[in-house]
Amino acid sequence: MTFQIDSGIDLAGQEVGAVNSADTVAKSDKVNRDDRKTVGEINHPDPRMTCRDVNVWYGDKHAIIDVNLDIGKNEVIAMIGPSGCGKSTFLRCLNRMNDTIDGCRVTGEMMMDGNNIYGKGMDVVLLRAQVGMVFQKPNPFPKSIFENVAYGPRIHGLAANKTDIEEIVVTSLQRAGLWDEVKDYLEEPGTGLSGGQQQRLCIARAIAVNPEVVLMDEPCSALDPIATAKIEELIDELREHYTIAIVTHSMQQAARVSQRTAYFHLGDLIEVGSTDQVFTNPKHQLTEDYITGRFG
Amino acid sequence: MGLPKYTTDIVRAGLEKRYKREAHFRRLGVAAIVAGLIFLSILFVSIIGNGYTAFWQTFIQLEVHLDASEIDPEGTREQNVLAAANYGGLVKQSLRDMFPEVESRRDKRKLYSTVSSGASYMLEDYVKANPEQIGNTIQFWVPADDDIDMLMKGHFDRDKPESERRIKDDQIAWVDKLVAEGRVESRFNTIFFTAGDSRDPELAGIWGAATGSFLTLIVTLLLAFPLGVATAVYLEEFAPQNKWTDLIEVNINNLAAVPSIVFGLLGLAVFINFIGMPRSAPLVGGLVLTLMTLPTIIIASRAALKSVPPSIREAALGVGASKMQMVFHHVLPLAMPGMLTGTIIGMAQALGESAPLLMIGMVAFIVDVPGGVMDPSTVLPVQIYLWADSPERAFVERTSGAIMVLLAFLITMNALAVFLRKKFERRW
Amino acid sequence: MSATALLFTLALLGVFSYWLGRKRSFAVVDGQAWKLHSLPSYYGFYTAIWCGVPALLITGLWLFFEDLIITHLVVGQLPADVQSLSPSRLNLVVNDIRNMVSGNIVSVDVDPTMQAAADHYIQLQDISKAALTVLVLIMVIMGGLYALRSIRKDKQARNAVERVVKVFLIASSTIAIFTTVGIVFSVLFEAIRFFETVPITSFLFGLEWSPQMAIREDQVGSSGAFGAVPLFAGTMLISFIAMVVAVPIGLMSAIYLSEYANKKVRAVAKPLLEILAGIPTVVYGFFAALTVAPFIRDTIGSTGLDVSSESALAAGLVMGIMIIPFVSSLSDDVINAVPQAMRDGSEGLGATKSETIKKVIIPAALPGIVGGILLAVSRAIGETMIVVMAAGLSANLTANPLEAVTTVTVQIVTLLVGDQEFDSPKTLAAFALGLLLFVVTLILNIIALHVVRKYREQYE
Repeated sequence: MTFQIDSGIDLAGQEVGAVNSADTVAKSDKVNRDDRKTVGEINHPDPRMTCRDVNVWYGDKHAIIDVNLDIGKNEVIAMIGPSGCGKSTFLRCLNRMNDTIDGCRVTGEMMMDGNNIYGKGMDVVLLRAQVGMVFQKPNPFPKSIFENVAYGPRIHGLAANKTDIEEIVVTSLQRAGLWDEVKDYLEEPGTGLSGGQQQRLCIARAIAVNPEVVLMDEPCSALDPIATAKIEELIDELREHYTIAIVTHSMQQAARVSQRTAYFHLGDLIEVGSTDQVFTNPKHQLTEDYITGRFG
Repeated sequence: MGLPKYTTDIVRAGLEKRYKREAHFRRLGVAAIVAGLIFLSILFVSIIGNGYTAFWQTFIQLEVHLDASEIDPEGTREQNVLAAANYGGLVKQSLRDMFPEVESRRDKRKLYSTVSSGASYMLEDYVKANPEQIGNTIQFWVPADDDIDMLMKGHFDRDKPESERRIKDDQIAWVDKLVAEGRVESRFNTIFFTAGDSRDPELAGIWGAATGSFLTLIVTLLLAFPLGVATAVYLEEFAPQNKWTDLIEVNINNLAAVPSIVFGLLGLAVFINFIGMPRSAPLVGGLVLTLMTLPTIIIASRAALKSVPPSIREAALGVGASKMQMVFHHVLPLAMPGMLTGTIIGMAQALGESAPLLMIGMVAFIVDVPGGVMDPSTVLPVQIYLWADSPERAFVERTSGAIMVLLAFLITMNALAVFLRKKFERRW
Repeated sequence: MSATALLFTLALLGVFSYWLGRKRSFAVVDGQAWKLHSLPSYYGFYTAIWCGVPALLITGLWLFFEDLIITHLVVGQLPADVQSLSPSRLNLVVNDIRNMVSGNIVSVDVDPTMQAAADHYIQLQDISKAALTVLVLIMVIMGGLYALRSIRKDKQARNAVERVVKVFLIASSTIAIFTTVGIVFSVLFEAIRFFETVPITSFLFGLEWSPQMAIREDQVGSSGAFGAVPLFAGTMLISFIAMVVAVPIGLMSAIYLSEYANKKVRAVAKPLLEILAGIPTVVYGFFAALTVAPFIRDTIGSTGLDVSSESALAAGLVMGIMIIPFVSSLSDDVINAVPQAMRDGSEGLGATKSETIKKVIIPAALPGIVGGILLAVSRAIGETMIVVMAAGLSANLTANPLEAVTTVTVQIVTLLVGDQEFDSPKTLAAFALGLLLFVVTLILNIIALHVVRKYREQYE
């Protein structure tokens, strides 16, 4: 078990913290501790990101406990579990969106291209350019549709001139399946679109930077079934170009869009496996309880 | 095609520049805060630096012979006889005795001006209170003239050529002699806190203005608090949603932003010229300030009423209370701390306000301490304005001193408001 | 009885009648209070209201008209040659009589007819006071008796009391409207009278302001010295300087405090900056005149430039300092109203914090910020004490911040402070300026409040 954190002081402090908090959890939850070992294959033959011994605290609350998981290249991996199980927290760690939250502390190792995401040398701006994010509620900026998509390339300086920007915007909107609907209204405000369109606009905005990984945090929870179906279709198409990690409340959605599924329960990663296997033949009792609707 | 290739490389290449801009922006933010705080500290340093000496006053000890033939030749000891005596002459005589070498008329006048012109009144009061001292020689402390006071406090540069100084060489020599004899003392300036206004800085005090402020604020509080609360209660609890209510709301919001001097014009035209109320009276000042602070109180009171959860109202109505009972028995007591906080803040605003009061004549030079809301008076901020206009160096000090007193009141009131808010803050 | 004593008596009688009414309500049901329609205390309130309210109304009306009527009667008794004086001279005479009545010394030698008039005045006042006292007492007794007699077991006392309270609530809430109407009328009438002597065009577009020239009667309206353009220019110059100081500092400190600063810094810096908002303007004025103006004169003057000791720069700078917390707290509000999702969206794409602020948050908050700045401008325009104490009186038409300029508010104060003849164009000019000030700030406020409200609704 290696903690790839540069500063020794940090390491010591965080390790002590980790042991203490893990102890309290273990004490209060002694009976189940052994049952919480992850079952299934956490490794992926061609991983894009590898996470080892990840722990997250919000203040004193131990939100993620010793999670190990690979995220494979060009796969869609779904993270499911009951509310408060830590699936969103885990997702937000993958591009360090938790940095903005006061009192949030992350230990362990999350590797991408041989660099630890939480290591000292890692640049957040660079990381987020590689690992994009789509949020639960569509959050287009109060700007025109064009400017929404052009925002990322502009701040990162990805386009040399106006033609480049236009090309990026058009391609992104096409990939997000929104082009045909908005091509005549590019100067209209993005906030004027319908919910589903807004969410696809946010996806277009994310892929305009050409990230390698796209994180989606319950992207359809605020949408109606038709809009949801469109997004799901889109996710399937996007797999060709991107690695996608999606958190979802809906097991049907996980089953429809993902190749692999990870089940989280109260901060533990309980089971990982191919989506078919997890839904048809869960190995862990907790997973089975959740899938059969006994709780959650 | 279309999407940028090599994103990471491009992003990495631009990082250094972007972080520089980030740090620059952050520095701007820090600079803004620091600038604000620097202005604040310069303001306070300048006021306190100029003002703290106002709380002390130089006194000179005179040796006064209370000549019975001068004061009370017939020995009646009656107050009106004592009042008629020439105490100014006694003070002058005492000064002449102490400096027999001063002979010319001009020099004598300079000599007399080293003590305050109020000295004779103080001597009079002393003799009236202690008639048994008549005929004796007493050691009597009188305030020094403001120029001498300034000299002692080091506000005049002794090294300047004599022609550029208000204090001349011989006066400095006299004062130095008095100091050497131990006849000069710096004492706590009770006059400053107990006297009304005066043309002589050493006799001027803030008590008159403070009383005027107090009377004005009392009028304001008695009117603005009930009216403000009543308006807030009506708008929040009873008013129907219609054009009329909208009009009232628009009016309140606008009045909150109308320049204060316009309220002064209203007071002048309506209360003084139309209704015929007296000029310079705290009653009129209070009325004007009431209209000015009402919006503040109403807005704060409405916010306080809004924060009372609807469940309380439903509970009260559910047990059969009338709407009026629900409001006065349940909602109002819960909203009261918030309303009081808003009222205190409104009162603090009123206490610091001066522009509208200039319009209604509270800017007159008034020596007497007002005894009621109809007496002519002034208020602390206007007193500050008046003194700030006076050319004497000693009034700079008095002005700053008065500002310190005013700020002390304001800070206390605001601290009280914060305390109330913290203490009664409730999350439902 | 004096008015104070009368009010005090009324209060006592009110308490007494409350007690009577309450007792009476018990009596009508033989002490079985549950038989009453309302709680006994409501019968008490009911009686007290009938006792007090009509009497109070009468007192108010009486005091309002007393002076008018007495003056009229006294003037009627004056010799014919005095009565035939012009209204303004007659006014002076009446003022002299009033002064004699209140015991103040009058400048002229006391003339027997005046003394007689003053005595008459005092006599009438005494009669009026006595009459009022008697009338009020009668009203109290009659009202109280009526209320007591009407108490029955099914008398709806609570409803009656609540109706009165509601009328009071409604009346209170209309004060805001009456205030606005009062402001409009008080400045409008005098302004119209002013425009009768000075044409409105030469007031609004005239380039020269020197009201002192028009004091002599034969010069009224002919001098053209009431051109207010230099005042507008001065006001705008000083407000502009204030905004140049306040907007960047206020906005940047709001941004820093809400986006960058940690809790500790915020807890210290925010209240400290808010102290600036609580300092009375007269203190700023003193600060400007005593510290800032000499400092500017000495530092900039040492470079060889000609700096007035009442420079617009000093007044504007200090006014800017005063407005910093105003801009800062308004900006803070609108910046915090921008949803966190916007920040997440931008940072999730890899934007740095400053890029997020500059390219997402400020554009999103712009309407709110503009509204806030408009409110701040309105405050700067209407600010009085700082400019009265630190800006000059000379109406220079200049854009040079180192020169002395004057403002609308300064002129209002100068024209109205001190004893003025109320009808001279000089005094009326102050009301015309007041009208202008009110209208301009009103327009700014309405636009600003509207913009801010629309902005808030967008994110609610």
